[in-house]
Amino acid sequence: MSTAMNFGTKSFQPRPPEKGSFPLDHFGECKSFKEKFMKCLHDNYFENALCRNESKEYLECRMERKLMLQEPLEKLGFGDLIGGKSEAKK
Amino acid sequence: MGGVWHTAWRRLFFCGWHSFHRGSTARPAERAEPFLRPEWNGIGGAERGLRLLGTWKRCNLGARDPAVQPSRRPKSSNPFRRAQEEEWRRRNKTALTYVAAVAVGMLGVSYAAVPLYRLYCQTTGLGGSVVAGHASDQIENMVPVKDRIIKVTFNADVHASLQWNFRPQQTEIFVVPGETALAFYKAKNPTDKPVIGISTYNVVPFEAGQYFNKIQCFCFEEQRLNPQEEVDMPVFFYIDPEFAEDPRMIKVDVITLSYTFFEAKEGYQLPVPGYN
Repeated sequence: MSTAMNFGTKSFQPRPPEKGSFPLDHFGECKSFKEKFMKCLHDNYFENALCRNESKEYLECRMERKLMLQEPLEKLGFGDLIGGKSEAKK
Repeated sequence: MGGVWHTAWRRLFFCGWHSFHRGSTARPAERAEPFLRPEWNGIGGAERGLRLLGTWKRCNLGARDPAVQPSRRPKSSNPFRRAQEEEWRRRNKTALTYVAAVAVGMLGVSYAAVPLYRLYCQTTGLGGSVVAGHASDQIENMVPVKDRIIKVTFNADVHASLQWNFRPQQTEIFVVPGETALAFYKAKNPTDKPVIGISTYNVVPFEAGQYFNKIQCFCFEEQRLNPQEEVDMPVFFYIDPEFAEDPRMIKVDVITLSYTFFEAKEGYQLPVPGYN
């Protein structure tokens, strides 16, 4: 579809991700969190809204293991999950 | 009545005239006489019609009968007026040519405007391909649009020369615009040599691609897999809440995210999809 010579139609421009690329988790340090997240997805019929806690935990694992840049969770869209918890992450 | 009569019409007129006065070589004044008479009904109507038809065929519009004066005879015998009429005729012809050229030019410009505008949009970045201001504070403040559920399906592809096993770990996920979501792909290197791959992505439908924002993923950077290694590759994305307000996206309920892995070699130019 993207290689058809459609003159005049808008073509798709891939954009680089905002925070760059995830470094590969070569040692499987966060694999257990990922498994939890996948299980949650399977159980909830792939509804993302119900598994946001698990995804938050996965990203926190990555941040701890330096597999992801430290970011306050609000900036990742998890502001509502922090709730009354005191925000100590830098 | 000046020299502005179209020559063809004048020929027709003269032809008709000759049909009445066939073979007549009378002078102009005598020729004009029948038309100047008040009652011009010397011949019966039907007969006249038949005569006209008969003589019409024999009337050769292009022939120059030397016995008859040439049909393309200027109306006036005055040389100055004749020159003037010639001049008018020439000017009319050039004017007509110019008008025709302008019309054709306009048509050509309207066709050429399509690719020219695309070029302009690509160079200046307008035309919807660039989404304005997606800073991380926007993620902080965005409100999920809970009534618009979108199914995101995942697709994984590998270039023929790359021997990785690359596949998504979930076939689909249901998200709403404004909510960040996590998805996983898995890649395994079954060979005995470390392989470096680089990936790119594609979003279908194309118009929804401008609302599909990836916070972090694994594309556009070289990823090295050691022999027999298997890794999880996450994609952290969200769909812009403005998606729900775009009238063109009303029918869009399924978005497909497709990743393609290529082997990264020295000097390899990543083939970016799309008409670039």
